[in-house]
Amino acid sequence: MPARLLLALLLLPCLGTAAPEENPYRRVPAAEFRSALPLGKQDKIRVHSFLLQSHPVTNGEFLAFVTAHPRWRRGAVAAVMAGADYLSAWTGPLELGATAGASQPVTRVSWFAAEAYCEAQHARLPDWYEWELAAAASDSVRDARSDPAWRQQLLDWYSRPAGKPLPAVAQGAANVYGLYDLHGLVWEWVRDFNSLLPADADPEKFCGSGALDVQQKDNYAVLMRIAMLGSLRASDTGHTVGFRCARAAEGAP
Amino acid sequence: MRGRSSVLCGLLASVAAAVCLCAEPPTDSLYQLPAQLTTQQGIRTGLDVDRGHPTVISMFYGSCPAACPMLITAIQVYEAQLDEPSRDRLRVLMVSFDAARDTPSQLAQVAKLHRADPGRWTFANAADADARKIAALLGISYRRLPDGDYDHSLIITLLDGEGRVVASTTTLVGDEQFAAKLRAATQPPTPGDPQTAPR
Repeated sequence: MPARLLLALLLLPCLGTAAPEENPYRRVPAAEFRSALPLGKQDKIRVHSFLLQSHPVTNGEFLAFVTAHPRWRRGAVAAVMAGADYLSAWTGPLELGATAGASQPVTRVSWFAAEAYCEAQHARLPDWYEWELAAAASDSVRDARSDPAWRQQLLDWYSRPAGKPLPAVAQGAANVYGLYDLHGLVWEWVRDFNSLLPADADPEKFCGSGALDVQQKDNYAVLMRIAMLGSLRASDTGHTVGFRCARAAEGAP
Repeated sequence: MRGRSSVLCGLLASVAAAVCLCAEPPTDSLYQLPAQLTTQQGIRTGLDVDRGHPTVISMFYGSCPAACPMLITAIQVYEAQLDEPSRDRLRVLMVSFDAARDTPSQLAQVAKLHRADPGRWTFANAADADARKIAALLGISYRRLPDGDYDHSLIITLLDGEGRVVASTTTLVGDEQFAAKLRAATQPPTPGDPQTAPR
């Protein structure tokens, strides 16, 4: 009896360290939402309630994924699903190294790899509208997009030079949903990244006169996202392109 | 009991391994994607249903008023330009991203309507998650509109026998370069060269 108790006491700290859930899912309630994307005759889009991971997936989390799923390791992944730069910031297929900290967001991941990671979590990538809704919030209101100070804050990030080592996730303030880093850290894949613009949209026109079709022309930060995502192929990877996963909320909407 | 069933499982596994002599597709092959399709005969299959043959692949939806019938006709015009032995070697795979409405019987209707050669043409649907991935591989964008229609791009892609992209076109009629690649890919394989269509 005392021996068993001792064992239990010895195990207690181990149990304690496993307790905090990594990258928890936060609920974003349903909303009628004015998207920056052209909606045709509609004015607003209805987004059902959903769950979104609180911060972008980290190198440490992605390492655990490729450890468990060998076909997604660098060097083993099918070329058609991830370009040559896939996970190139890591020292080895199963080694992060000095330039890729465990709590930094994982980048250099293709859309296919991001989707596979989320599927392994019984999740998926968020749809654009979901991401856009979540990213419209500040730390005090659900839709801060008309707040000039908030907009300026975003633009300051987009005008910062890329190439520096990425900071760790969740360092700043969370927004009203408890979500970190929707702006200011990395670009993020969305499930429908290749379908944001009408099929007949000419990317050149999109940057020029065609951009008039897009709503909220002064919302540059979001328009840059749309343009960037629209320029990618699903096997592409980028130094500043990461992702986070989403799930349907139980009992949605 | 448990022992016997695990022996049985082991046996079954080795039988399965022996039966499936198919080699892993090349790393740059679209057949790397483990997608599940359901054909107009209701058969479950993969993207590699026509592996071993040069294959034209595209995506559509059956209730599409104009663009998709044009797309199917366009492929028929391209293949009509081939001589008969070449055409016999070619396969066509049309994947619908509207699995809810494009049931096997609906797909069979589309095939019949277009008089598509049932020996060489496969009409299939894919559930949303797989359809998105197939579209991503082919560079096709599609978006479901509130009225149930789809806004989508028209891209015809030619694969070699191993599922590698040989050529693609967004020109429905008269892309001479694509037609030439199609002719080359459907030539009889030359002795000593196992590839149906080298890159």
